[in-house]
Amino acid sequence: MSDRNSRFLSKTALIAAAALVIWPLGTSAQSATAPASPTQSTTSVSKDRWLHVRVVSSDAKGETVRVNVPLELAERVLPAINKDHLHAGKVKIDDAHVHDVDLRALVDAIRTTKDGEFVTVESNDCDVRVAKQSNHLIVHVLDKENSKKSEVEVKIPMKVIDALFSAGKDELDLVAALHALSAQGDTELVSVKDHENTVRVWLDSKNVTD
Amino acid sequence: MVLLAKAALGLGGTLVLAGAYTMREGVIRIDVDEFRSGGSHVHLWVPAAAVPMVLHFVGEKHLHHACDQARETMPILHAIAKELKKYPEAEFVDVDDGDEHVRVRTHTGKLQIDIDAPDEKVHVLCPLSTIEDVTIQLGQPASGA
Repeated sequence: MSDRNSRFLSKTALIAAAALVIWPLGTSAQSATAPASPTQSTTSVSKDRWLHVRVVSSDAKGETVRVNVPLELAERVLPAINKDHLHAGKVKIDDAHVHDVDLRALVDAIRTTKDGEFVTVESNDCDVRVAKQSNHLIVHVLDKENSKKSEVEVKIPMKVIDALFSAGKDELDLVAALHALSAQGDTELVSVKDHENTVRVWLDSKNVTD
Repeated sequence: MVLLAKAALGLGGTLVLAGAYTMREGVIRIDVDEFRSGGSHVHLWVPAAAVPMVLHFVGEKHLHHACDQARETMPILHAIAKELKKYPEAEFVDVDDGDEHVRVRTHTGKLQIDIDAPDEKVHVLCPLSTIEDVTIQLGQPASGA
């Protein structure tokens, strides 16, 4: 090998070695400092079902809380929590909390009943309506007591309620309820509007809040 | 000169392999800035792959003590980390009250926690696979005990 070629090869080898050393440092720094721009957040529409909670305060600060939970994640994580009344994804109900009401019998009665209104209260203070409609249990409360009205609407699919009470006596099966919920289409479950806050709980396939 | 070049190439190659192995899971990044007198400023970059390795060198007594303390939470953390890996790019919590902004999300397979407040800023970035590895390692002695 000529002296010239030898020098050229040596230089090439040195540059290659230097490049090899610098390259991973550069790439690791790049990956670590990559800006986490909110605009990069993807809005994937997939088979995943997401439970969203949004609380918007109407005060001067305009506090906003957004929580997005994949139902599958909740289904898998809940059985791992064993604390107080929660075990294996099921919540034990104390007799004391039920006040001698047989919840299971109540749910059975609602399930077998045709669509209709079960409770309707109309007063100067508030309106209350509990109904079964299109296989959904609907609870609507309009509080008129204060000058600033507040309104609560809860709409739970009957299949979810059935799953919730599918466990043993005095138990609520949260995992089964979540599983039943994941089979539902896009739906709003809870809506609360008052002069201070607006709360929404809904289900869809997007991994970010609108 | 040729010998020097060969040595440099060998050294470079070794460094690349070591670097690639260490950085294959990315880095754990922790930045804490407290904007008050005497406030702490912590900026920590740790190769994620090093954490499970370091755990092997922690004394068994200390590890058992940590496991005992985390016995209840470790299975939950493990389940969360395992499931979060299925959502490498998602936003889970976002709280904004005008002054403070808290965000918990996954970004490129890492758990990212950002707290921006007038008096402090905390940014944590940790690969989900590392959290899963650590919870497995810490869970093993606890379950065996």
